[in-house]
Amino acid sequence: MHKTVTINISGIIFHIEEDAYHVLNNYLMAIKRYFNKSESGSEIMSDIESRIAEMLQSKTSAMKQVILMSDVDFVMQSMGQPEEFADEQFDANSSNSHEEQPLQESQQQKKRMYRDADNKVLGGVCSGIGHYFGFDPVWLRIALALLLFFAGSGFVIYIILWIAIPEAKTTAEKLAMKGEKADINNISKAVAEELEQLKKRMGKYGDEFKDMAHKNRHVPRNVAEKIVDFISDFIMNIGNVLLKVIGVFLIIFGVVFFLGLFSSVFGLSFMLDSINGKDWIDLILLEGKDLYLGILGIAIFIGIPIIMMIYGGFKILFNVHYTNRWVNLGAGIFWLIGFTLLLYVGVRTGNDFNKNAKVRENVAINAFDTLYIKMTETPIDLIEVEDAIDYDENEKQYRKHHSESDYLIGKNTKGRYLLGHAQLDVIKSQSDVVELVVVKEAKGSDRKIASERSKNIDYHIVVNDSLILCDQLFRVNHADKFRVQSVKVILKVPLGKVVYLDKSLENMLNDVDNTTNTYDGDMINRKWVMTETGLKCIDCKGLE
Amino acid sequence: MIHTENAKAQMRKGVLELCILSILSQGEAYPTEIIEKLKKQKLVVVEGTLYPLLTRLKNTDLLTYRWEESNSGPPRKYYLLTKAGKTYLTDLQSSWYDMVSSVNKTIQNSK
Repeated sequence: MHKTVTINISGIIFHIEEDAYHVLNNYLMAIKRYFNKSESGSEIMSDIESRIAEMLQSKTSAMKQVILMSDVDFVMQSMGQPEEFADEQFDANSSNSHEEQPLQESQQQKKRMYRDADNKVLGGVCSGIGHYFGFDPVWLRIALALLLFFAGSGFVIYIILWIAIPEAKTTAEKLAMKGEKADINNISKAVAEELEQLKKRMGKYGDEFKDMAHKNRHVPRNVAEKIVDFISDFIMNIGNVLLKVIGVFLIIFGVVFFLGLFSSVFGLSFMLDSINGKDWIDLILLEGKDLYLGILGIAIFIGIPIIMMIYGGFKILFNVHYTNRWVNLGAGIFWLIGFTLLLYVGVRTGNDFNKNAKVRENVAINAFDTLYIKMTETPIDLIEVEDAIDYDENEKQYRKHHSESDYLIGKNTKGRYLLGHAQLDVIKSQSDVVELVVVKEAKGSDRKIASERSKNIDYHIVVNDSLILCDQLFRVNHADKFRVQSVKVILKVPLGKVVYLDKSLENMLNDVDNTTNTYDGDMINRKWVMTETGLKCIDCKGLE
Repeated sequence: MIHTENAKAQMRKGVLELCILSILSQGEAYPTEIIEKLKKQKLVVVEGTLYPLLTRLKNTDLLTYRWEESNSGPPRKYYLLTKAGKTYLTDLQSSWYDMVSSVNKTIQNSK
């Protein structure tokens, strides 16, 4: 069953198939435009129409009442294209219209990209593109098949093209699909064509401006109108050229981004097994499934816009005017799903960092005139530190490379755990007894969980008469996750008491107040006495 | 090949006016009849060429026309030569013969 349209040519009524109608209509419009500017244009037009009516009439009978595409083809063939029936005398009369007609004509009957369902393997994408550029689709099929080995991009590109390019369903579309001959340089040709047209128009307007300047000074309104016309036309033309360029860029960048995303998402999942990045993700995320939800979320969240970018690029480049509402809707919904996944994982994880809690533990210490503070270096042999950046294989130590804010991942027979650097501060005691306080800090979704995590931090200080030995590192169980745990050792020293800061404390001291504003690193290996205004060095003389 | 096609088309175009006038000198005719005669002699490729030409000839008063109802299709425009048209045709024909003979001579001399 086919839909027909009823038309009236020269007073005769015809029933014509819809496709054929569109082609015939375009053809008549082209002729009309061609003769438009001539005085006798309408007369010629009606002569031609009456001849066409006669021809079409000869194609119908009681048995065949409907005008088909083949009939219209016959009419167009015997009547010819408007460019072909130029009469020289007539040309001279209407040189203006003649100049621009062929251009508009070629635009009107521009080749369009369609999928060729008649020669399809899957969706007719390759044969359609083959028609457009005029080459054998076999090569494209081979290329796409080979691209399958590059992260499967051949498949994705094919699917995008399948969605972006409409199928040639009607005869008119099939004709437009095969269209005029075009070569592989079509893209540059299209751009060049647009530029050429732009140049011509600009030239034309330039002349018109000159004319206007000479003749029409008394008609300013007209000039203003022309200027507006000129500007809008100029923008339109520039826009067309830019659009093609943008289309090409969209496709190129889209494909590059897609490959980048693909390799990072899939590469990441493989790599995660071998590097400590996986440990970190495990320590940050609440559950293992969050990782996969997160990766999926990122892939969709970034992937959908990239795919739509390629899709849009193809549509712009090949003048595909058809919009599939479901594609846009589907992409939008998918993107929202990706966004929701990311949001879910992000909020869930972030929520566990929400509240902060501190736990104070007092360490008993006796009063001595001079206290010696040393750091117990956590023996490197006892832990296997996985943080490659901080661990220097040659020196078998990592201490020199880290800053006190770094965390490390350790490994023992029970599994993995987190290591952090404790910090030391020496302040003035409000009373006249020495106090040693360990402040442990962690985050959690509520205060209770946070304080539970703080308590779980494993840290040791050994007091041996006047010698205080602080552990360099504190440990956090894997189950407690990484929740910005920290340990701060605070030594409260009464007035007049002396503290000796051992060399080993170099990286442990944290902004210790002193009267001379000496940097932490320069405070080591010295004795300091507590005064009203802070620590004062008693064996620094002659060193400054 | 394209070049020769183009040259042939140009030649045809040049003599089309003379041919139309000649056909009409044998009696009035409407475009379809004229086209059929031209096609038989392979003097016209696309029909569209004819209509602007007929209109121009009519506008310069070399032709005139009358309408005639058709029982099978749209009304037909029957063209016929005016007095001016007949004189013009005689003129054109004699200059055509002149031209043909001089062109022939030129071609043969160059062989």
